[in-house]
Amino acid sequence: MIRVAFSLARREFVRFIRQPQRVIGAVAQPLLFWLFLGAGLGGSFRPPGMEGVTYLEYFYPGVMVMMMLFASIFSSITIIEDRDAGFLQGVLVAPVSRMAIVLGKVTGGVAIAMVQVVLFTAAAPFLGLSLSLGSLLMLLVGFVLTGMGFAALGFMLAWPMKSTSGFHAIMMVFLMPLWLLSGALFPVTGVPGWLYAVMMANPVHHALNVIRAPFYGPPAEMFASGQYLASLAVTVAWAVACLVVSMARVGRREKGAAVAAA
Amino acid sequence: MIKIDTLTHVYPGSRKLGPRTAIDSLSLHVRDGEFVILSGPNGSGKSTLFRILCGLALPSAGRVAVAGYDLFAQPAKVRQVVGVVFQSPAVDKHLTVGENLRIHADLYGIRDFAARRDEALGWTDLGGRIDHKVDTLSGGLARQVELAKVLMTHPRVLLLDEPTTGLDPASRRMFLAALGRLQKDRGMTVLMTSHVFAEAEEADRVAIMRDGKLLAYDTPAALRELIGTEMVVIQPTDANGLAERLRAEMGLAVRVHGDEIRLEETENGDGLPLLERILQRYRPEILSISIKQPGLEDVFVHVTGKAVPEHAHPVRDLQRTGTL
Repeated sequence: MIRVAFSLARREFVRFIRQPQRVIGAVAQPLLFWLFLGAGLGGSFRPPGMEGVTYLEYFYPGVMVMMMLFASIFSSITIIEDRDAGFLQGVLVAPVSRMAIVLGKVTGGVAIAMVQVVLFTAAAPFLGLSLSLGSLLMLLVGFVLTGMGFAALGFMLAWPMKSTSGFHAIMMVFLMPLWLLSGALFPVTGVPGWLYAVMMANPVHHALNVIRAPFYGPPAEMFASGQYLASLAVTVAWAVACLVVSMARVGRREKGAAVAAA
Repeated sequence: MIKIDTLTHVYPGSRKLGPRTAIDSLSLHVRDGEFVILSGPNGSGKSTLFRILCGLALPSAGRVAVAGYDLFAQPAKVRQVVGVVFQSPAVDKHLTVGENLRIHADLYGIRDFAARRDEALGWTDLGGRIDHKVDTLSGGLARQVELAKVLMTHPRVLLLDEPTTGLDPASRRMFLAALGRLQKDRGMTVLMTSHVFAEAEEADRVAIMRDGKLLAYDTPAALRELIGTEMVVIQPTDANGLAERLRAEMGLAVRVHGDEIRLEETENGDGLPLLERILQRYRPEILSISIKQPGLEDVFVHVTGKAVPEHAHPVRDLQRTGTL
């Protein structure tokens, strides 16, 4: 199963690398987002209790989550193209476990997103953020976990779709709000009560916590924090749930209508 | 090797449309090592049957056993022994030939990849293009990648869904020649759907279906015997008018197929005198007239009672020159 998943994931990666415009777009877009919003909102960002934090710095993990979210989802929805182009049918009739099909796509998506986000991590020292080796490791673990969850979510949503055009609607009304309400752009402290409830129920908010924490404390401190552990649990549960649903969707075969026994 | 037993598939209806029966209590048995061609007009249920056989759909009722395994209870076992060539390409055209083969080998757990790859490419014309992307290859070569990929796993059963669609006659012939040779060498059981009757002549047996039912299933020779040994085919200016007159004035049993009139049940040797008599009386109304040994296309027309599907026409002329 691992070999199959690895082989399918490598295919995703090779295809990504061979499309330079996709590589540039994927890295440049969040970078511009970060620089423009960071510069523009910097002057007016004065949340209580975060006096020493510039907006550029506050927004930094939020952009990482954005990269993970969109890069992994965009690569896992290529399952729609695979079905359209015919590649998928050949995989489905092969003697491989359905989980390997899901994992191949998801791992490929995570790998692609990781390349971008790890490059982006190189900006940390310029913000005055330093990472110990342990924190860096926890950051990478955070990337992998959130990427798995997002890529599996994309897979799950894309599987029954006939064309990528339907996905744009989902993107705007569902995925974009998930990110907007994650705390990437503004902190949860100081929002109205109803918004606070929505943000706490949003798995992307917990993914953001998992990615933000390593910048502000060593692993020992993170594991002592109830909030971090809760967010970590939500992120893991989210990834597992999306993977299980995806696998069930792949395993389901179209079934003929029942007929009265002759 | 492939045992289909009273298979029925009904597509569930929607709010607007009622349920539709695509396959109706169909039974078909393909013996070990046989090359069977499955044919039928569009909408006859071929594609549905194909989807069920490769395990992508579950039928409403009935059983299918492949290589002794129950297709619905043990799909994983069946997938191990079956190779599938789809009508639409199942290779990633952004990857190279070698990369596509590599993925396929990984999917099927093949260990000695390099040896298998070289063996699989040995019979193809792909030598030297292993590092080329599939979308730079011609249609014929891309099809060869498809077949090479599937045969690399040494399947005992090969399913092909109109594999020669879109190929020019020369590529088509090459593909079929390679397929036929490999089938014999390896003793593979092959079930292939096809609209092209020149292909069916090569098969051990031909199955013809329509409306989800099996209408005929026999060797090409036996199928040809369904209609007389010779037939006279007339292309008149007005098919229905002349057919009426042939019936009334000469007492002949004629059938009209499109713009043709056919006298199918003609004994050997009777064709020529009959042709001369018709020509004498009706010459001005006849564009062409010929005596023909029935081919499988004629059997298909006879059995299904429908004209040959549109897209089979380009090759019809080819086949005709061979059988006249």
